[in-house]
Amino acid sequence: MLARLHYALLLQQRSLNSTLPAAQATGKITIRPHSIVHSVIFDRSTRKATGVRVIDGQTREALEFRGRILFLCASALESARILLNSSTTEFSNGLANSSGELGRNLMDHCMGGGATGLIPGNEDKITLGHRPNGIYVPRFRNVKEKHPGFVRGYGFQGDGVRQNWQRGAWMTGFGADFKHTLSRPGPWMFTFYGFGECLPNHENYIELDTQRVDAWGVPALKIHCAWRENERALLKDMTLTASEMLSAAGAKQIEPFLEDNAPGLTIHEMGTARMGRDPKTSVLNAHNQAHDVKNLFITDGACMTSSACVNPSLTYMALTARACDFAVDQMKRGEL
Amino acid sequence: MQRREALRLLAAAAALPVLSRDAFSLFREVHEQLAAAPALKTLNPHQNAMVTAISELIIPQTDTPGAKAVRVNEFIDLILTEWYDDDERQRFLAGLADVDVRSRDVFGKDFVDGSEKQQLQIVSSLDEELAGIRQPLDLHREGRFAPTEKQFFYMMKRLTLVGYYTSQAGFEQERHEHIIPPRHAGCASIEEEAT
Ligand SMILES: Cc1cc2nc3c(=O)[nH]c(=O)nc-3n(C[C@H](O)[C@H](O)[C@H](O)COP(=O)(O)OP(=O)(O)OC[C@H]3O[C@@H](n4cnc5c(N)ncnc54)[C@H](O)[C@@H]3O)c2cc1C
Repeated sequence: MLARLHYALLLQQRSLNSTLPAAQATGKITIRPHSIVHSVIFDRSTRKATGVRVIDGQTREALEFRGRILFLCASALESARILLNSSTTEFSNGLANSSGELGRNLMDHCMGGGATGLIPGNEDKITLGHRPNGIYVPRFRNVKEKHPGFVRGYGFQGDGVRQNWQRGAWMTGFGADFKHTLSRPGPWMFTFYGFGECLPNHENYIELDTQRVDAWGVPALKIHCAWRENERALLKDMTLTASEMLSAAGAKQIEPFLEDNAPGLTIHEMGTARMGRDPKTSVLNAHNQAHDVKNLFITDGACMTSSACVNPSLTYMALTARACDFAVDQMKRGEL
Repeated sequence: MQRREALRLLAAAAALPVLSRDAFSLFREVHEQLAAAPALKTLNPHQNAMVTAISELIIPQTDTPGAKAVRVNEFIDLILTEWYDDDERQRFLAGLADVDVRSRDVFGKDFVDGSEKQQLQIVSSLDEELAGIRQPLDLHREGRFAPTEKQFFYMMKRLTLVGYYTSQAGFEQERHEHIIPPRHAGCASIEEEAT
C-alpha cells in the first residue's frame, strides 16, 4: 500500500504529456479516442497484419483501420486478449501464437513482506504537507552470493513518518485520554515494504472466457495465476531482512508483516507474450516483433521474460523506443 | 484506488503508518454520500444505538466533537452496507450481538440499557481481550499472523477512528489537518504543525 504513495512520480512519464505531444508536433498523427480494438486483421497471403477491427466507443459502429505495420500496446493483459481474440484458421489459438506461449507466463510483483519499527527521538520535529517521496533499497539478494532458499530477489520501498491517529487501532485504551493522545503526532515510524521478482511460470496464464463478454462483446479474460514457491520464499525473506535492517538502525518495537496479497494487487502485470530467441518457446523476438507476423510489434508489459523486482514502466518505455527504432530502420531498408 | 484496497488498509493487522491521500479521499466521499442520504441501511435501531454508544465511548465529546456528533454510526452503517462482504458484515453484527450477551450475563440487561459505568466495563473487557490477542508475527509459523482484524472490537475501533478522523470535524478541529496543505517542509518543529 505504501508503494501507492510513490506512484505519483509516474505521472511525469505518461505518454499524455511526453510522447503524444511530441508525436502531435510532427503533424503526422491522428489521435482517435473512443476506439476499442476488437481484433487484429491478418492477411494469409502476405502473412502480415493489415490492420485492426475497431468498435467506436460512442456509436458502437464497427470500423477497420489499415496500416503497414502494427504496434499493439494495450497493456499485457489487453494486448494478449486482442490477439487471443484474433484467431484465424492458421492460428487457431490466437494470432502469432504458434509457440502456444501467448497468454502464458503471466507475472506480477509479489509485494507485502516487510517490517515497521519505531525510531526513538526527534519528537520535536515533524514533516509538513504531503510527502512526495520515499526511499528505495535496491536488490541485494543473489547479487554477489547465491542464496540457498530462492533465486533472484526483491527491493524495498519505504519511508519514515510520524504515526498519526491510525495508531489508535493498535493501542489499548479508549475515551478522553485516548482521544487526547491521538490528537498529537505519535513516534517516528519507519517501514520497509518489499517488492519481489515473480518468475515466469507456464501455469500462470490467461484465456478467453467462453461464457462471458465485455461491454463491447469481446470475450472477457479468465486469469489463472498464483504465487509459487520462489515468490513465497522471497516474501518471507523480506520480513526477515527488513527487521534486521531496522534493528541495525536502532529501531524499537520492530514488527515484521507478511501480507497475503493475491497476484494482481501490485498492478504490474506482465509477461503474456514473452520475448525469446526461439520461436517455438516465445512470441516475440528481441525487438518486440512477433516471430510469426513480422509487421506486428507488441510494446508493453507482455514482452517481459521475467519480472525483475523494480517498477516496470521505465523498462517498457525503453523497450518501446528500441522497438520503434528497429521498425523504422527495417522500413527504411524495405524489410517491413 | 479501489474500495477493496482501502478496506484492506482498514483491516491490515500490521501497523502500516499512514492512510494514503487516495484512501483518505475515498473515505471523505463516504462522508459526502452520507450527507446526501443519511438513512440507515444495515443497522436496525437497536444495533444503531449500540454502535452509536460504543463509538462515543471510544472517541467521546470533549472540547471537540465526539464520534456521535460527526455521525460515525452512519459512516459505519454505510461501510457495512456497501463496502463489506457478507462474511465481514456477519462477523461485525455477530460481534455486536455478543456485546449484548455479555451485558446480559453480567448486568442482566442489554448493553444500551446499562449505566455508563456498566458500558465502560464491557468495552474495557473487549479492549483488554484485543490486547491479549495481538501478537507479533511469528516468522517460524506458516500462514498469516494473529487474526486481530477478524475481532469485532478491532473492527469497531478501527471503523470509529477512520470515520471520526476523516470527518470534517475530525481532521480539521481535532487534528488541524488541511486537505490542501498551506506549506510543505521536510523537517519542521512540532509547534509549526498546529499553526
Ligand atoms: C495505480 C497504478 C500505479 C502504478 N504505479 C507505477 C509506478 O509507480 N511505477 C511503475 O513503473 N509502474 C507503475 N504501475 C504500472 C504501470 O502503470 C504499468 O505497468 C504501465 O502503465 C503499463 O504500460 P502499458 O503501456 O503496457 O499499458 P497501459 O499504460 O495500461 O496502456 C494501455 C493503453 O491501451 C488502452 N487499451 C487497452 N485495451 C484497448 C483496446 N482494446 N482498444 C484500444 N485501446 C486499448 C488503454 O486504455 C490504455 O490507454 C502502476 C499501475 C497502476 C494501475
